[in-house]
Amino acid sequence: MSKKSFALYIVLFLGLFITGDQVLHKVLIKGLNQYYGIDEPNEIALVGHSHLMLGLDKVRLEKALDKGISKYTREGVNVNDRLVMVRQLIDENPNLKTVIYGVDAWTFTGEGLSDNSYKLFYPFLDSPNIDEYVYNNSEKLEYLTKKHIKSSRYNELLLAGAVRGYFNKWDNLKFGELDTLKLKMEIDKGNYRKIANNEANITVFKETMALLMANDIKVVLLYVPTIDMLETIQKEEFDETIQIFKSQTNGDITFLNFQEPWSHRYELFFDPIHLNPQGQKKITDQLISFLKTR
Amino acid sequence: MLFNSWEFIGLFISTCLLYFNLPYKYRSSLLLISSYIFYISWRWDFAFVMLGVTLVNYYGGLKINESKTIKKKRNYLWLSIVLSLIPLLYLKYANFFIGNINNVSEIFDSQSRLTLLEVILPVGISFFTFQALSYSLDVYFGKTKVEHNVVNFAVFVAFFPQLVAGPIERSSNLLGQFREKHNFNRHDFIEGSKLFIWGLFKKVVIADRLAIYVDRIYENPDVYNGPTLAVATLFFAIQIYCDFSGYSDMAIGTAKILGFNLMQNFNLPYLSRSIAEFWRRWHISLSTWFSDYLYKPLGGNRVVYSRWLLNIFIVFLVSGFWHGANWTFIIWGFLHALYYVIESWGDKVLNWAKQTRIKQFNGYRISKMIVVFILVCYAWIFFRASSISDAYIISNKLIFDWSGNLYLGASTVSFVLCILLIIVLVFVQILQYNKVVSLYFSKSKIHSIGQLLWYVFLLLSVSMLGVSSNAFIYFQF
Repeated sequence: MSKKSFALYIVLFLGLFITGDQVLHKVLIKGLNQYYGIDEPNEIALVGHSHLMLGLDKVRLEKALDKGISKYTREGVNVNDRLVMVRQLIDENPNLKTVIYGVDAWTFTGEGLSDNSYKLFYPFLDSPNIDEYVYNNSEKLEYLTKKHIKSSRYNELLLAGAVRGYFNKWDNLKFGELDTLKLKMEIDKGNYRKIANNEANITVFKETMALLMANDIKVVLLYVPTIDMLETIQKEEFDETIQIFKSQTNGDITFLNFQEPWSHRYELFFDPIHLNPQGQKKITDQLISFLKTR
Repeated sequence: MLFNSWEFIGLFISTCLLYFNLPYKYRSSLLLISSYIFYISWRWDFAFVMLGVTLVNYYGGLKINESKTIKKKRNYLWLSIVLSLIPLLYLKYANFFIGNINNVSEIFDSQSRLTLLEVILPVGISFFTFQALSYSLDVYFGKTKVEHNVVNFAVFVAFFPQLVAGPIERSSNLLGQFREKHNFNRHDFIEGSKLFIWGLFKKVVIADRLAIYVDRIYENPDVYNGPTLAVATLFFAIQIYCDFSGYSDMAIGTAKILGFNLMQNFNLPYLSRSIAEFWRRWHISLSTWFSDYLYKPLGGNRVVYSRWLLNIFIVFLVSGFWHGANWTFIIWGFLHALYYVIESWGDKVLNWAKQTRIKQFNGYRISKMIVVFILVCYAWIFFRASSISDAYIISNKLIFDWSGNLYLGASTVSFVLCILLIIVLVFVQILQYNKVVSLYFSKSKIHSIGQLLWYVFLLLSVSMLGVSSNAFIYFQF
C-alpha cells in the first residue's frame, strides 16, 4: 500500500466516521426533542421522573385541552436534574406558561434516585446549561468523549425515544397489578424507601420555583398518588413533606394532591409508586378537570 | 487497564510512536516497560508474581540447555514447572482445597476447620504461567532455541497485547519475533485496526450487553422459568464467545499494528459439527497447549482404548480446573470429555454399520451443528452458574418448568437489540465461514469501500451502543 493510498484510506475513514457521528446525532436529537417536546412552542410542560411519566397520559391531556403539551419526564431524575430540565425548557421554549411539576413524598430524599442521572442529559450537551451541568458532574475524560464524539451520548433507550418521537408514540404504560401481600411483608421487614428530607434538595426545589416565577410561569405541584401503605408507615415524615409543598403555594404555585381518593385503590398501581394504565387514565382525567376549571 | 479504555489507547499510541522511532536495541525494553505499566495498572504487587515466573523459566531454560544429561535436563524442567506452578496453585487453588477439606471434615463431624486464605488472584496468572512454562517445555523437547536475552524473554512472557487473556503464545512463534526488526507497515496497521474494531464491537456492544441479562437471570435462577433460563444460557454462550474472542481479536490486532503475528485463537467454534471440531476451533491456544504438553505426553491416542479414555478425561478435567477453582468448572470439563467419548462411539457405530455416506448429507451436517451447539450450551450452564446447586436448578427448570412468559429483562428495547445483535453476529460468521468476508487477515471478497463503510458502522455502533464493563470474563482465569 502506497503512502498516498494509506493517507487517503485514513482520511476517508475518519471523514466518514465524523460525518456519520454528526448525522446520527442530528437525526437522534431531532427525534428526542420531538419525543420530549423540548423545542416545541407548547404552553404546558410536564416535568418529573418515572412517577409522573407513568402517571399521566400526554395524548389524552392534549385532546381534552386541545393544546400541545411537552412531557419531559425521565427515569430517576432528582431535584437537581429537574432544575436543569426546567432551565432547558425555558431556554428552548419562550411560549411556556405552565409547568406541571411531579412531586411525591421522596422528592427531597437523596437516596433512591440515580447518582449519575446527569448522564441522561448527554444528548443535549450542545445546550450551554446542560453542558455546564454535565461538566460539573462527570469525569473530565468522560465529558470530553461525550462532547466530541456525539454518537457516544446515546444508548438504545435514547435511540428508542428518538424513534418514538418520529412516530409520535407517547404512551408510557406498565401493565399489571401490585402484589399487596408481598409489599406488606417487605414493609414489615423494613424494606421500603424511607422519607428523609434533605435541606440541600429543598433549597434546589425552592430555586426551581423561584426560577419559574421569575419567568412568569405558573406551577402546578402534582402529587400523583403513591400507595397508602408507604404513607401510613412513615406518617410523620410524609406529612412534613406535604407541608413543604403547601408552604410553597401562592397565586402562581398550586399544590394538587391526588393522594386521595386514590392511594388505597390498589388495583390502579403497577408497583407502590407507579400507576398502571387504569390508574394513569383516572389521574389524567382528574388533572384535566382541574386544568379546565382554571 | 482495559482495551476499551482511553488509558489503554493512550499507552498503545505512545508505545507505537516510540517503538517505531527508537533504535532497534531499545525496542524490546520499551515493550517490556509498556507491558509492566499495563499490568501494574491492575495492582503493582501482581507484577512480582509475573517477574518471578519469568525468571524461573528464563533460568530454567538456560539450565535445561546447558545440562548434558537427560536426567539433569528433566530435573531442571520439573524444577521450573513446580516453581512456576506454586504461585498459581497457592493463589488460585489453595482456597478450593481448603474449602473441600473443610467440607469433608464436616461430613465426619470433625470440629477442626482450616481458615481460608485472604488472597487476591493476579489478573491473567493462568495465561502468563502457561506461556512461560511452554518455553521451558519447548527447550526441553528441543522445539525452541534457548533465549539468552533476559529482556526478550521477559517481554515474551509479559507482552501486553496478549498478557492477561491470551492467546497463550508459544516461544517457537512469538519469542523469535522479538529478535526481529519491525518497521511500521501500513498494511499491518489497517488490518490490525480492522480486527481490533471487530473485537471491540463483539466485546462492548454484544458481550457486555448480553451480560446484563445473563447476570440478572443467573444471579437468582430459582426465580425464573425454563424459557427465560434457556434464553439466558443462549445469551451466555454468545456472550462468552464475543467476550473472549473479542479480546483475542483486539490482542491480535494490536500486536499486528506493532508488527507481531499472534496465533489465531478462535475459528468460528459454534459452526462446529462435532465436539472434537469445537475444540479445534475454541480457545485454540489453550487446546493445543493441553494437546502438546499433556495429552501427547500421556500417550495421546497411541495407547490402548481404556488408557485413551482416561487421557481424554484427564485433559478435559484439567482444562476445566484451569478455568477456575470450582467444582462447576470441573463438571464443565467432565461434560465435554463425556461428549467427546460418546461422539467417538457414534462415529464408530456409523463406520461399523457402513453408514459413512450419511455423513455427507446436508441435513445430517446441519443437525450435528445444532446438536453440538445445544450440548455446548448445556455445558456452559455449569461454567456460568455460581454453584452446582444453581446449575442443577437451571437444568431441572429447563426440562420441567415451561410455564409462564419469557422474562425480557429491564427493558424490552434492550432485549430486542440483543436478538438483533446475535443475528448480525451469526450473519457475519456465516459470511466468514463461506470466506466472503475476512477472518483473521484472510482476503475478503467485499469491495474495499464496502469494508470501509462496515468498519465505520462498527465504530459508530461501539460509540453509541457500547456498554461500559469492568472486565473481560477470561481475566479471572
